Amino acid sequence: MNIIDSLRNNVKKYPSKIGFIDEENKVTFQEMLDCVEEFSSSELFKNKNQTVGLILENSIEDIIAYLGIINSGKIVHIIPPNITEKNFINQINSSNPYIVICSEKNRINFSNFDIKDLTIHTNEEIIAKSIVQEKIPDINKIAYLIYTSGTTSEPKGVPISHEMIEFTTKNIVKVLEYSKNDIDLTPLPLYHSFGLGCLHTSIYVGSTFVLLKNSNNLENILNSLKKYNTTTLAVVPATLTKFLKFEKQYLDEKFSNIRLIITNSTSIPKETVNDFKPIIKNRKLATYYGLTEASRSTFMIFNENSKLDESVGKSAPGVKIKIKKFDKKLKIGEIIIQGKNVIKNYWDNPTADKNLENGWLQTNDIGYLDNDENLFLVGRNDDLINIGGEKVIPSEIEEIIKQIPEIEDVVAFGIDNEIFGKIIKVNIIKKKNSNVHKTKILSYCLKNLEKFKIPSKIEFVEKIPKNEYGKVKRSMLK
Amino acid sequence: MQDEKVKNDVKNIFFEVFPKLSENEFGWGKEQKDYENWDSFAQLNIITFAESKFDISFSLDESIEIKSANDLLNCINSHLK
Repeated sequence: MNIIDSLRNNVKKYPSKIGFIDEENKVTFQEMLDCVEEFSSSELFKNKNQTVGLILENSIEDIIAYLGIINSGKIVHIIPPNITEKNFINQINSSNPYIVICSEKNRINFSNFDIKDLTIHTNEEIIAKSIVQEKIPDINKIAYLIYTSGTTSEPKGVPISHEMIEFTTKNIVKVLEYSKNDIDLTPLPLYHSFGLGCLHTSIYVGSTFVLLKNSNNLENILNSLKKYNTTTLAVVPATLTKFLKFEKQYLDEKFSNIRLIITNSTSIPKETVNDFKPIIKNRKLATYYGLTEASRSTFMIFNENSKLDESVGKSAPGVKIKIKKFDKKLKIGEIIIQGKNVIKNYWDNPTADKNLENGWLQTNDIGYLDNDENLFLVGRNDDLINIGGEKVIPSEIEEIIKQIPEIEDVVAFGIDNEIFGKIIKVNIIKKKNSNVHKTKILSYCLKNLEKFKIPSKIEFVEKIPKNEYGKVKRSMLK
Repeated sequence: MQDEKVKNDVKNIFFEVFPKLSENEFGWGKEQKDYENWDSFAQLNIITFAESKFDISFSLDESIEIKSANDLLNCINSHLK
């Protein structure tokens, strides 16, 4: 069953139910299906080329476009609105769409890009060309194509099939108990697989999907919880951490109707988990681990067992996770995943396909499994610092330095060295009014880390570069 | 006075990097080969600690040449003077 089938099921069961709400509009399932069918019947889709670009923003119009392209038998190449010209051109050269669809505002922005032989259409222009179809096209096996944001290499195209979406969505529904009675608030970008997965889940169960534009507007998110009688909320860990700046009583009131908070992207800080537990007492705070290439590979529902607060949970039903150990003596290694949620190949990229061996995806993430098969994330393989043959995981150093009370934030990374190949540098943000000296940090490290893990360079900085999900942009460190 | 402070700081660097080193075992002329744990990583730690403590930077050649507490003291003094 594909996502369009799920929408049709909802129309059969509850045609007049409000299925989609954004900050300007609300539409029923019937209205959504009508709009999707009108969109997909555009004569602009009568082209042999199978890929259509969509600059996807958080709006009902763009949900119609996304589902409409799928319903037309094409593959949606999802393009973030904030993409750079270089990345845009790289992606277009790889996916080879014959048209790109976007809002009028984005057409103006993108018209300055150096894109010959590519036509940009607005959603309205697509609909204006709708015609009566003699034959409804078959739906492509691939639903969408999304490019990973690879920080160290060129972006890789990840084709997501309907089979993968169905498998993943069923797991989400089963583990997190989504139902048609839910009202799901999503202040996440739809151009990211987390946000898009939330849309698929709501359509699959026939719940109401509430879409906000801005994940940084905390007051708007909190007010929307009450305004829409929200029962589930999907946010990144950084947003949850930011919520904690509000008073507990205020949060208690705002979250009183919530049965589930789901988060992802990075392992959630244990302090955030601890502080949030009393706010959503007797309800669920959950996270999951996954990649675009292997969505929702584990689930973690936090409970009173604080020993597991730093875990991303057990593997999802039907998904296998193993650790490819660097050394037999160590429990740590690269996480590898197999299951129907894993892509079969990258988009026209034999080099990237080497990450897939007999259906096992080499994630490049480092972690370990405890005796009960709970997965713990430690870092990225790319981030490993090889110092004279000794491999060092930056997070281990960062965690130790963060224990020093005068330290606000820290990032560890490798820099070139003539003798060791790499040595460790740490960039540190001191707390306000702190005059901590580098020697205090070194002394603390010497007491708590092996000698090859001691930083060789320490720099106090004002800022550590991070992306919108709170992940450190390691390629920008120096 | 200043010299004594520098000497004391250098000595403390050795006690930081070699936590099992006792006062009796420390010697200004005692060489790298006579320390049980003075390997290339310990060398790196000594250099790092000294650079941070005195806000100086050693060249690669200087770093390699330090084979005793005395060598470190002389190297630091050459930067401070």
